[in-house]
Amino acid sequence: MIDTEPIAVALKFGFLAVLYLFLFWVSRSALRELRRTAAPAPEATGFHAVGPGGRAAATDAYLVAVRGGGLPPDARYDLFGGLSIGRSTEADVRIEDRFASAIHARLYSRGASYYVEDMNSTNGTFLNGAQLDGEAELSDLDEIRIGDTELRFELRLPGDD
Amino acid sequence: MSARNRELLALVPVAVLLIAGFTAVFITRSDEIGDLSLIYGGYFFALCLVAHLFLRFRLPHADPYLFPLCALLAAIGLVVIYRIKDDLAFDQASVFVLGLVLFCLTIVLLSDYNVLERYRYLIATAGILLLLGPFITRNQVNGAYLSVDIGPISFQPAELAKICIVIFLASYLAEKREMLSVAARRIAGLTIPPLKHFGPLLVVWGAAMLMLVFIRDLGSSLMFFGAFLALLYVATGRLSYVLIGLAMFAIGSLVLGNNISHVHDRFEIWLDPFAGNAPEGAGQIQQSLFAQADGGLFGQGLGESLLKLPGPFAPDCQQPFPECGSILPTPHTDFIYAVITMELGLFGACAVILIYALIAARGFKTAVMAPDGFSKLLAAGLTAIFALQAFVIIGGVTKVIPLTGVTLPFVSFGGSSIVANMILLALLLLVSDRARRPPPEPSQPGPTDLERAPA
Repeated sequence: MIDTEPIAVALKFGFLAVLYLFLFWVSRSALRELRRTAAPAPEATGFHAVGPGGRAAATDAYLVAVRGGGLPPDARYDLFGGLSIGRSTEADVRIEDRFASAIHARLYSRGASYYVEDMNSTNGTFLNGAQLDGEAELSDLDEIRIGDTELRFELRLPGDD
Repeated sequence: MSARNRELLALVPVAVLLIAGFTAVFITRSDEIGDLSLIYGGYFFALCLVAHLFLRFRLPHADPYLFPLCALLAAIGLVVIYRIKDDLAFDQASVFVLGLVLFCLTIVLLSDYNVLERYRYLIATAGILLLLGPFITRNQVNGAYLSVDIGPISFQPAELAKICIVIFLASYLAEKREMLSVAARRIAGLTIPPLKHFGPLLVVWGAAMLMLVFIRDLGSSLMFFGAFLALLYVATGRLSYVLIGLAMFAIGSLVLGNNISHVHDRFEIWLDPFAGNAPEGAGQIQQSLFAQADGGLFGQGLGESLLKLPGPFAPDCQQPFPECGSILPTPHTDFIYAVITMELGLFGACAVILIYALIAARGFKTAVMAPDGFSKLLAAGLTAIFALQAFVIIGGVTKVIPLTGVTLPFVSFGGSSIVANMILLALLLLVSDRARRPPPEPSQPGPTDLERAPA
C-alpha cells in the first residue's frame, strides 16, 4: 500500500497549474493574432471593419438616394472605397431607369478624396447639373444625376452618429 | 502551425486534465490509483479526436480554439459530475456522444447556413412554440414550466429556442439594420427607430418575453433580453437603443417584481439571504455561499469537500444522493459552479470564468471577421447568448444577480443543454470557417457588402 496523500496534493495543484498554462497558451496566441490583424475600426461595433475579401473599408462617405431609380428615398450606401451604379444586376447600386446604362458610372476613392467617373454611358452622368467629362473629384453634398435618378454624395462628419 | 494542428495540440492538455481530475477523485474515494482514469481519458480523447478529424475534413479554416475550450468545459463538468455521483457522469457522457452526432449533422446539413435566412419566420415560430411546450403539457417544477416529457425523455425547450430566436433576430436585423439606424427620428435627444421596421422585431421579441413570464423561466428571459440588446447594438451601432432597452427592462422588472410573488421572493433573497425573515428558498444561496467560502484559494481538492453530508434540504432523507441529502441543492445542475469553487478554489473557479471569457472573445472575433451582415450578427448573437447564460448562472450562484436557474453551458448535467450548445458551437464554427477562409484570388475590386445583402 502506497501513501496516496502526496499524490493527491500534487494532483490538486498540478490540475490548476496545467489548467492555467493551457489558458495562458490560448490567450497568448489569441493576442498575437489580434495584433497581427489590428486595424483601426471605423465604427464602434466593427460592423464595417473589414469588407468582403478582407479589404479594409473606408466608411467615411455615403451615396444617398434622392429621387427616382426605384430606390427607397434616403437609402444610404456605404462607399467602401468604391461602388458602381447602373441598370445591370452586376452594379453595386442597381437603379431602374430607362436612361441608365448597364454600368453607368462609378465612385471610388483615391488617397483621401472621392471621385465619380462616367463609364462611357449612353446618356451621360451629371454632376451638380453639368455633364461629366470623364471623372471629377467629389465634395460633400454634390448632386449626381443619371437619367431620371438623383443621388447625393455625403461625407460622414466626425460628430455624426 | 495550421489551425487544425493547433486544435489537435490543444486537445492534449484537455485530455490530461480529465485524467488528472479522475485520478484525484479515485484517490480520495478509495485510496487507489488504477488505470481506470487512463481508460476514461482515452475514451474522451478518442471522442475529441473524432470531432477533430471531422472538423479537419469539413471546416479546415474554422477557429482552432473554440472546440478545445468547449471540450475543456466538458472535461471539468464530467469530472465534477462523476465526483457527485458516478451514474450521472455516464449519462452525461452518452449525451455528449449524442451531442457530437448532432454537432456533425449540423455542420453537414447547414454547410450553407445562409438558408436559415430564408426560413426566419418559420424558425421564429418554432422557437416560440418550443417555449410554449412545457406550458401546454402543464409540466410545472418549482413554479416554472421548464421541461417537456416525451416518454422517458425530458427536455428543456428553452435551450433550443434560444438558438432559433438568435437566428431570427440576426437575419431580420441583417436586412433591416440600415432602415433602423438611418431612417430614425430624434425625439428629446433620444433616437426613436421607425415603427414600421421595428414592429415585427418587437412583436416576436415581446411574444418570447411574455411566454417567459408565463412559463416563469426568469433566467432564460434575462438571456434572451440581453442577446436582443446585444444584437440591436451590433446591427445599428446606436447606444441609445441599448439605453431604451435597459430602461424598459428596469420598468418591467419593477412591475413584475412587485406583482409576481416568486419573482419578488427571489429579489428579496438576493438583497439579503441571511435576513431573519428571508423568504423560503434563501437556504439555497446561503449554502452556496458557505460552500464557496469553504473552497478557499486552492480548494479542498477534487472529491475532498463535504458535499455528501446529510444536507439541510432533506435532513431525514433515507434515499441515496442526489435525490436528497446534499449540503447543496441540485449540485449537478444549477449549483455545479459552487461545487467547482468548493473543490478547486478561487483559482479553479476563476479559470472556469476565464474559459467562458476566451470562448466569448473567439466568438466575437469570428463576428468581426465574418464576410457578410447575417454571418456577423449570427456569430455575435450566438456568442452573446452563450456568454450571458454563463453569466446568469455564475452570477446567480455567487449572489451577483438574483438567482435564476439556467444550466452552466457544457458543464452542468443536462441533455438539452449539452445538445443545444453543441449545435450552437457547430453554427459558430461554420461562420468561423467561412470568415477565416483565405480569399480564392488576390483582392480585385470585388463585390461590396451591398451585393451580398438580401434584397
